[in-house]
Amino acid sequence: MAVFPKTIKLRGDGGTLAIDWSDGHRSAYPYRYLRDRCPCATCTGSEPAPEPPPSQLPMLGPKPLRPDRAELVGRYALQIFWNDGHSSGIYTFDYLRELCFCDDCEAALDQLT
Amino acid sequence: MSKKVSPQEVLDALKQVEDPALHRDIVSLGYVQDIEVGYERVVVVMQLKSASSPGRAELAERVRKAVGALGVPSVEVEIATPAPAEPADAAAAAPRGQSNLIPQVKNTIAVASGKGGVGKSTVAANLAVALHRQGLRVGLMDTDVYGPSVPSLMGAKQEPTVVEGKLEPPVEWGIKIMSMAYFLPEDEAVIWRGPMLHKTIQQFLGDVRWGELDYLVMDLPPGTGDIQLSLSQTIPLTGAVIVSTPQDLALEVAWKAIAMFKKLNIPILGVVENMSYYVCSHCGERDDIFGHGGAREAAARLGYPFLGEIPLHPAIRVQSDSGRPVALDDSPLARNYEAVAKALAEQVSMASDQAPQIITE
Repeated sequence: MAVFPKTIKLRGDGGTLAIDWSDGHRSAYPYRYLRDRCPCATCTGSEPAPEPPPSQLPMLGPKPLRPDRAELVGRYALQIFWNDGHSSGIYTFDYLRELCFCDDCEAALDQLT
Repeated sequence: MSKKVSPQEVLDALKQVEDPALHRDIVSLGYVQDIEVGYERVVVVMQLKSASSPGRAELAERVRKAVGALGVPSVEVEIATPAPAEPADAAAAAPRGQSNLIPQVKNTIAVASGKGGVGKSTVAANLAVALHRQGLRVGLMDTDVYGPSVPSLMGAKQEPTVVEGKLEPPVEWGIKIMSMAYFLPEDEAVIWRGPMLHKTIQQFLGDVRWGELDYLVMDLPPGTGDIQLSLSQTIPLTGAVIVSTPQDLALEVAWKAIAMFKKLNIPILGVVENMSYYVCSHCGERDDIFGHGGAREAAARLGYPFLGEIPLHPAIRVQSDSGRPVALDDSPLARNYEAVAKALAEQVSMASDQAPQIITE
């Protein structure tokens, strides 16, 4: 692994998870963006899609999505415990870096494709 | 009577002294805290960075020699190491955001090979002994749940006891040991799927009273499967030691293990070449049964440290079977293991702690 996170910040206000990387790069991911890209087997379709979480039922009102907490997995990944009860996704640092969509990363990707 | 030396002269002399493990001078490492110059007498006070630094006695000897060369008749060396952290402090010092199951264990070393039968367990047991002989506190955890061999290798006669709801590991040759072999009659086998293995690994870490240790050496089973993954996910391993025999067949599989650790961001602390050569007990002639130097070359090619080579020797087999690891002896074989332990400690002291911080607003 070439780069790894130095700090991982779960922002309360803007609704983003921010990462400062060892190479000086900075990434900011909206919570919904990360939740939709959960890498777990259930979310990636190896198993039938789960029931919609209760927070999406209209009578409960939409609760803003955010992580309750996040924990490191060994030395290589982050496990996010979402407030909709889902927590089985293990986001590897490599995967998180791939998910970065800042202008620089987008431009680098454009050049490749 | 010799002239009185100045503190600056002493400091200049100390700049020539290298840490035996780090190969850097002790002044730039920040060890030297105080120099007192008295009548025909110099006191050097040093503070080491980590209590796990081996070679403390050798370091003191080097300092005495260097300062003595200035013509000082009496040189006293005081070496302080950081006080062992209180359990609560140690827990707080663990990477935030990860519940550390073994906060009082400073370094966790996985001994892996990919391929079976290359002598992982024998190397792990002897490495643990060699580290202990450097004056370090060492534990040895047998994570090979299917084929536990550590208790036999270490001649473990006692069994774990339960103290305050946790397992007290037996101590053999000064090393705390835990293994599945303790919980199973000899003629029974563990026939388990992944989740049971995961639970066992977690219990071996969290439910064993390891206490304060400088090193916890973990003997891994062959392969890149459930146990390796559970271990890598449950604790932030300090690093991995790869054991291989010199032939291509073993090396090819060893690189699979390296690829796994790379993926899991676990530093490769180095490669050990086991069964490196054979010295005939009859004629004394050396024979390279599996070739020789293959692991050293491969490590150099891929940029991993080479920690040393261990020959194929009947004494290793005989003593392993009788439960007295060869690293306990004063023999050339024991010195091979000593060299590996020292090279490993050196790599560990250089491995940077890169645990990310998690901040919740």
